[in-house]
Amino acid sequence: MFSLTSDRHISADSGSASIDDCLSRIALSKDKGALEELYRKTYTSVYSFALSILKNTHDAQDAAHDCYLIIFSSAESYVSHKKPLAWILTVTKNLCLKKLRERAKDTYVTENELEMYPDKMSAVTAEDKIIISECLNTLSDNERQIIVLHAVAGMKHREIAELTGLPVSTVLSKYSRALKKLKKIL
Amino acid sequence: MKDNEINNKIKEAFSHAAPDILDSVLSDCSQKKGTVIYMTENGKSKRRMRLIIGIAACLLLLLGGFAGYRVYDLNYAVDSTVSLDVNPSIEIKVNQKERILDVTALNEDGKKVIGDMDFKGSSIDVTVNALIGSMLKNGYLNELANSVLISVDNKNTAKGSQLQARLTDEVGAMLQTESFTGSVLSQTISNSQSLSAATEKYGITEGKAQLINEILKKDSRHTFEDLAKLTINELNLLMNSGAYTPDNISSVGSASDKAYIGQEKAKAAAIAHAGLSDSDVSYFETDMDTENGIMVYEVEFKCGGYEYEYDINALTSEIVQYSREKDDDYFSVQTPSDTQNQQSTSGVGNSSDTSQSQNTSLPQAKISADEAKEIALAHASVAASEAAYIKVDTDYDDGRLIYEVEFVVKSIEYEYEIDADSGNILDFDREIDD
Repeated sequence: MFSLTSDRHISADSGSASIDDCLSRIALSKDKGALEELYRKTYTSVYSFALSILKNTHDAQDAAHDCYLIIFSSAESYVSHKKPLAWILTVTKNLCLKKLRERAKDTYVTENELEMYPDKMSAVTAEDKIIISECLNTLSDNERQIIVLHAVAGMKHREIAELTGLPVSTVLSKYSRALKKLKKIL
Repeated sequence: MKDNEINNKIKEAFSHAAPDILDSVLSDCSQKKGTVIYMTENGKSKRRMRLIIGIAACLLLLLGGFAGYRVYDLNYAVDSTVSLDVNPSIEIKVNQKERILDVTALNEDGKKVIGDMDFKGSSIDVTVNALIGSMLKNGYLNELANSVLISVDNKNTAKGSQLQARLTDEVGAMLQTESFTGSVLSQTISNSQSLSAATEKYGITEGKAQLINEILKKDSRHTFEDLAKLTINELNLLMNSGAYTPDNISSVGSASDKAYIGQEKAKAAAIAHAGLSDSDVSYFETDMDTENGIMVYEVEFKCGGYEYEYDINALTSEIVQYSREKDDDYFSVQTPSDTQNQQSTSGVGNSSDTSQSQNTSLPQAKISADEAKEIALAHASVAASEAAYIKVDTDYDDGRLIYEVEFVVKSIEYEYEIDADSGNILDFDREIDD
């Protein structure tokens, strides 16, 4: 009741308000229930973004895993109270970049690698596999990240620009180019 | 396949492919818990202290009713919110005693300014002083960009404006440096509810959003979106250039335009591009304006029956766009070919040109569409092979047959109107296609 964090910044969008809410609960009381809730709301975005940078399912899974540990241990350092998803994805990005530095050379995901989780991944259809491998192999790094951030994480182009450090105009043109490429293939 | 469908398909594919790692995350969290507590021991105990104080306040509230509430209110409730905008944007929350509860950076520049300073519990004056000092040190405030916006939000307007006046004086005094004098804009936020949508959308402070709204009331040529991209110094320059101060904004000092080329150079660049000299032209007007988030000088002048309008990039003196139009008020000193062209425009109701109304033969195209195209390309110094989407149309304008030639070179759109009779260029326009 005396929480200093809740107040007028709670945004109209209920989805992001509750991510915010989860973060403050984690920060204040290390609430695991809140972490679970946060995980369910954001996991697909975090994993897909990591995959789009790392192009390897193992590494993406590791990065996503580490990301949630960091969120759990340092939710206090989240200050803005306005764009929780952007904060989480920035953490993801930094972890991925660290992984990239550790990794000597690019590895490409193949369909075989996607089949390595057969029991948990029964939902993956043949079409899903094609889409993901096209995203990973046909698109350039920037294009793929932009497409994933927009389609999966539902971010606005302006937010993508902030997250990737590219100008908004570049994001827009890369996005439409990438979409054209995918249209041609799919 | 539609864009939406593709987006949905991608979303679906990725969400199917994401493996579930919740269990391992949760178990790892428990394992690391020990370290986590150790690392943040200070924070923990502070939080515990706060909790104890909170419980104490709660007890007081129950026992002493209003008195207990006051203690909490005095120390922990946000009383005023002060935001500083330069380009770094920083929001400061203080309690009733004007002690800091929280300092938040609202953009990347703001984070750099705050660095690792911790203000909790210090007075608002010390904090603002330190922040402005850091902005000076980090080069956000200098002789090239000297404007600061201070916005105060307090339910009690009298108290808010008192704080506003005091901070304005203090910041003003700090910016009286040897190399430059600052310009301080200040305001009290009146209706923060209505501003929060804009702050969310454009990532700016409520203060900046209110300033932009006030500017738009005075100068409706701009859009909110364009102005949101500008720094406070650039907004201040626009206000200085239009010679107005928006309502509810108090302003001390004037914005620096030293980073820019200056009106004289902008004028010279425009005249040089038009192939004219200073003595040829009349009726100058130069304004600062913004075009797609870049600062431009808008230069207007007249010469030989035409009105020229140029937008010159204020940093690089590059020409952003220009146009030339026939000046309808122009009658004197015409060249013979001009006289012929002007005939119908300057017709009825004008006593000065009765001498010209001799022949009124029907206009006929004496030059071909291809010739018109060549005239336009030659004027733009563009080879036919470089130009894309060349379009030539015929049209009647003021009773005269003209060719309308349009083409695109890279990302620049050209539009010409060419007299089908004489081959004269009547009007042209060059625009950056976005």
